[in-house]
Amino acid sequence: MTHRWRAVQTYPETIYSMLWFELLIQGIIHGSMYAIIAVGLSLVYGLLRILHVAHAGLFTLGGYLGLLLTNATGSLILATPVAAAVVGVIGMIIYRVCYHPILDQPPYVALIASIGLFIAMEEIYRLIFGPYGLSYARPPLQFQVQFFGIQLRAAEVGMVVVSTVLLTALSYLSQKTRLGIAWRATVDDPQMAASFGIDAVRVRYLNFFIGSALAAVGGIYVSLLSNLVEPTMGGVPSYKALAIIVLGGLGNLKGTLIAALLLGIVEAFGTIYIGQWLDRDAIAFALLIVILMIRPQGLFAGR
Amino acid sequence: MLHLEGLGCGYRDMQAVHDLDLNVEAGSITALLGANGAGKSSTLMCIAGHVEIKTGRIIYQKSDISDSTPMSRVRSGIAVVPEGRRLFPRLSVKENLVVGGYVRPKQRSDGGMAKVMDLFPRLKDRLGQTAGALSGGEQQMLAIGRALMSEPELLLVDELSLGLMPKMVDICYDAITALNRAGMTIILVEQNTHRALEAASQVCVLESGHAVWKGSAGEAAGNQEMINAFLGIR
Ligand SMILES: Nc1ncnc2c1ncn2[C@@H]1O[C@H](COP(=O)(O)OP(=O)(O)OP(=O)(O)O)[C@@H](O)[C@H]1O
Ligand SMILES: [Mg+2]
Repeated sequence: MTHRWRAVQTYPETIYSMLWFELLIQGIIHGSMYAIIAVGLSLVYGLLRILHVAHAGLFTLGGYLGLLLTNATGSLILATPVAAAVVGVIGMIIYRVCYHPILDQPPYVALIASIGLFIAMEEIYRLIFGPYGLSYARPPLQFQVQFFGIQLRAAEVGMVVVSTVLLTALSYLSQKTRLGIAWRATVDDPQMAASFGIDAVRVRYLNFFIGSALAAVGGIYVSLLSNLVEPTMGGVPSYKALAIIVLGGLGNLKGTLIAALLLGIVEAFGTIYIGQWLDRDAIAFALLIVILMIRPQGLFAGR
Repeated sequence: MLHLEGLGCGYRDMQAVHDLDLNVEAGSITALLGANGAGKSSTLMCIAGHVEIKTGRIIYQKSDISDSTPMSRVRSGIAVVPEGRRLFPRLSVKENLVVGGYVRPKQRSDGGMAKVMDLFPRLKDRLGQTAGALSGGEQQMLAIGRALMSEPELLLVDELSLGLMPKMVDICYDAITALNRAGMTIILVEQNTHRALEAASQVCVLESGHAVWKGSAGEAAGNQEMINAFLGIR
């Protein structure tokens, strides 16, 4: 990234605006990746008031399964939904085994369980898949595409497209269908929702399935961008996603999406303009601190 | 239609209602009266399936529903208008009604909504508004409408008139009596003794979780001594 900074100083005006456009696009690419990861976390918080740290472990698992299935079948198109579905089911199992029995305990109990689970998951991946990380035999979506004069990798475009499509579908499900209405009713008042025949436990399963499957898709695209899957790849996304859901107003879905995009864009510009002083991965927290100083409730009202 | 037999219910180690016997005839309005903390809401929510039964049982339409979930109770025709309305505040008026009809086939949803709009025309212009933004009176209408969407045979109403201006109270009572005339059985919990006695056919008075007086609404209205002793002067 530093070579670009130097380049900027010697190029004329038009290149400046070109650079800004490119930074914006890079920001959107990262923002859509953050969004697809953070959404599941936000959903779980909205429904159960649990900070589901182990969510990032599912993101990693998505990366592993996507890569292994792609290597085995040669088809990313096939591997993605299968990996997402498997991870979705594992998310449901985590709810059943880890959270369901301790729901009536204070929230920190679930938080501790979740952190423990996340650490355990990283170790399990290390044991099963080895410590050094895996790569694609023939990495898909690596060809270049032109987008208004910018060179992008197909995987980057794919990240944005897939994330937009899935999150739009999620929004349709939650806003327009009976199931989605039942889901939001359970978030508002689980006892009353049950009183009108909505099974809160089934809503929670659905919640974990969808959130985990989305995280898995995020993991697959991140692995495509870096051509690497390793046990610890969930670490950075896990704390960034936490920053994002706090920024977006805890449990607020729309806020989460906007905060994710905002973080992506701020990071993209930040690497160029404040990159000398602040590491890219620290920008999330700088942004979090600044915004919480101005608006302690986050960008949007939470729950 | 509904029989409470020696019902005791409460929360964890706290028992709110003791040994309550109550028969509710189909097509009647039963008023449950009593001072604050007497156990009225607990009784109602226990019938709806939300408060743990400690002793006795609940017989509804000849079957013992003591162990059944709130979900199966609403399916069998018991709906609740809870204390404080407890709407889904971030859902729209229409979505609240959709949730109300969740246990009924989707095709009947529109018909149910039309009936609610007939009963409460004021809600018609507010279908897209979030429930949390409604006035208190409109919220009570919506709470009743939401319960009606589940096509109940037994309607449990807690604090129908609380916090409403007199005109709103009239609208809500008119709705309740109209529903009752159409055949719905109603259990009504009220602070407003006067209004409740007007509407009700039978009365049960609770004090500290015990039934202390039972009889017809006419007897209750004529029994000033009882009203003074248990219900205060209203
Ligand atoms: N969720 C709860 N947990 C523990 N105790 C409760 C709970 N709800 C009510 N109680 C207790 O049960 C008793 C009966 O309360 P309940 O709400 O049934 O009275 P009520 O007759 O409806 O009173 P009000 O007229 O004030 O609504 C009270 O002593 C109350 O403190
Ligand atoms: Mg009460």
